[in-house]
Amino acid sequence: MLLANIAQNLNLNPINEPSADVEVTSGYASDLLSDVLAKAKNGAIWATNQKHINIIGVAVMLNLAGVIIAGGIEPDENTVAKAREENIPLYITETSLFDVAGKLYELGLRST
Amino acid sequence: MRELSMHILDLAQNSIAAGASRLEIEVAADTNADRLVISLQDNGRGMAPDFVSRVKDPFVTTRTTRRVGLGIPMFDAAARACDGRLAIQSSPGKGTYLAATFKLSHIDRAPLGDIASTIVTIIAVNPDLHLRYTQRVDDKAFIFDTDELKTQLDGVPLNEGPVLKWIGEYVKQGTSEETEIN
Ligand SMILES: Nc1ncnc2c1ncn2[C@@H]1O[C@H](COP(=O)(O)OP(=O)(O)O)[C@@H](O)[C@H]1O
Ligand SMILES: [Mg+2]
Repeated sequence: MLLANIAQNLNLNPINEPSADVEVTSGYASDLLSDVLAKAKNGAIWATNQKHINIIGVAVMLNLAGVIIAGGIEPDENTVAKAREENIPLYITETSLFDVAGKLYELGLRST
Repeated sequence: MRELSMHILDLAQNSIAAGASRLEIEVAADTNADRLVISLQDNGRGMAPDFVSRVKDPFVTTRTTRRVGLGIPMFDAAARACDGRLAIQSSPGKGTYLAATFKLSHIDRAPLGDIASTIVTIIAVNPDLHLRYTQRVDDKAFIFDTDELKTQLDGVPLNEGPVLKWIGEYVKQGTSEETEIN
């Protein structure tokens, strides 16, 4: 599934859009970074309520397809700057984390 | 991380990687001030001032296997999420001191977790390290010091099964009464 299709489907607000098509192969939702590091798969789209720069560190480490900050939370300034620098697709949405995860699941994504 | 003791284990690995032969860990709760302080002091190689000023950034690491180092950034984020902060002092060739404060009663503060297993794990992998662990609640303190134990053991290495088992039970017992922190 393409990231652009997901962004359109969930009506996500892009903070940093990918320069090319990105294939999303799974989904993950969690606010505990150590849990994400242990369980999320490469190529996953990750939905979270965290907004600090460490989420971009996690995304780079795991080679994630992108990050969605759910629940109407604004990312920290250095998070946005780092997402741009590292070319990590970053989106925000008013939709709650629960609903974002549900919508990703509906689109056919799984955590495994 | 799910438990603060996981941060402690991770940060102890930083000290060991920095060549420390001595590591002092303290977890102190002040119930009146509603504050929890976790500190680590080592005598490792230390960090230069400009490196220290950048080390809370997850993209600052001296690892060669990857570009991201999340140990200190995650500890910093945990403290900040609980109305606290992480202070770092370091001098090259001398050592490093980290101290994170947390609001003790903050709803997002992770529990301390299994500190006894954390201590045992550090010693099992680094039996020659001089490790001192202190846990305080107000004016009560529990202290475990590997050098004090070594003088009693008369040459038996600390990473032998029965010794590790004893340490685990001793720390568990000692941190479960007057100095218990959840
Ligand atoms: N106790 C310490 N003594 C000396 N250097 C340290 C210490 N802790 C951390 N560092 C330095 O800071 C860097 C970042 O640490 P950290 O955030 O834990 O990530 P990582 O250990 O994955 O690199 C380390 O690579 C190391 O160079
Ligand atoms: Mg580390």
